[in-house]
Amino acid sequence: MSDMDREMECAEFVLGTLPLAERAALQREMETDAQLRDAVLRWENWLSGLNDVVPAVEPNPEIWRRIEQHLRPEPASPVVDTTLALRRSRARWRAATLAFGAIAAALALFVSAERLKPQPASYLAVINRSGDLPALIVRVDTGSETVTVRSLAAEKPADRVLELWYVAAGQAPRSMGVVDHPETRAALPAAARAASLAGATLAVSVEPPGGSTTGAPTGPVVYSGKLIRDQ
Amino acid sequence: MSTAASDLAELLARVSAGDHAAFQDLYARTSAKLYGVTLRIVKGREIADEVLQDSYLRIWQNASRYAPASGSPMTWMIAIARNAAIDVIRKRVHDAAAAEIDLPDGAADPERQVIVQDQLGRCLGRLAAPQLECVVLAYCNGYSRDELARHFSAQVPTIKTWLHRALNALRTCLEAA
Repeated sequence: MSDMDREMECAEFVLGTLPLAERAALQREMETDAQLRDAVLRWENWLSGLNDVVPAVEPNPEIWRRIEQHLRPEPASPVVDTTLALRRSRARWRAATLAFGAIAAALALFVSAERLKPQPASYLAVINRSGDLPALIVRVDTGSETVTVRSLAAEKPADRVLELWYVAAGQAPRSMGVVDHPETRAALPAAARAASLAGATLAVSVEPPGGSTTGAPTGPVVYSGKLIRDQ
Repeated sequence: MSTAASDLAELLARVSAGDHAAFQDLYARTSAKLYGVTLRIVKGREIADEVLQDSYLRIWQNASRYAPASGSPMTWMIAIARNAAIDVIRKRVHDAAAAEIDLPDGAADPERQVIVQDQLGRCLGRLAAPQLECVVLAYCNGYSRDELARHFSAQVPTIKTWLHRALNALRTCLEAA
């Protein structure tokens, strides 16, 4: 790609007109390419005067409360239903690190339950790279029976995808779909819609394009977390 | 409440050290602007709420990445919000089921709306009218190439050409500043 093409790519990225696939590719490259980040930053600064054109709008105060909840997960309490215990295999993680390259080895999982809405239990997991952008946000909403995986900056080899798995206690993993878009929504499997999510595990593996063809994870599991819900 | 760059930069520095109170202060000073920018792009309160929430969580996590030398705190935060908003709407269009997006009436009257300061204003002023409108509709309203093509009853490659001409002209003009 010529310098000019690259420059236009950065400009269109900031403008917002770069098509989805190119946009996602550029975002991935920016994670490791400082020169590219500088070019994007230059365009952000150049065009920032246009921010004055858009009027400010007060957001609903509720939003701050939601943000605050995510900063301050409930401290340790006897109620177990807000915890998502992380289980991580070091050996697997090392293998995954090789595949993932840039994702830092320290994978922290922080969970908080959204307590704003009284009934439908909603679990949010932010999978971080240490001190870096959240890579994935996994939201389990038992009210709407959906699992939403939002990929924020998840890096993966160009020829691989991330696949989300639901593993009911003592059962084989069931695929919940490939997480290759910024946001992927999947229905909670029937097994999970039943009374309890206790003992179920969510896992994310690295798979060939289109996802695993065997019906089971074939690549390294880069994250797995057990959902514990005390009824 | 001050939104002076130096004040916001100081708040961001405290936020990067995990200071909740500083973060709340930062939110109070900046959220209306970020929400306005987001809402204009995603065109729906519910989605805008989610994007705003995500944006501030990213700001919380990445405050230490902000470098005062590379731009104002507001520019940095708005870029985070715009990126999150654009990611969401591009994905939404990408889903066949949600392919229909109503273009808001009267969204475009950029020549009247743009009161852009300084060099950018001068450089935008030199663009041909449709090119200027493309840039503003894309940046402020989140229009994709496809949406711009519909808006101007033009082919997508034509829009791409206009955008590149406009962006190249802007770059030449801004670099000369």
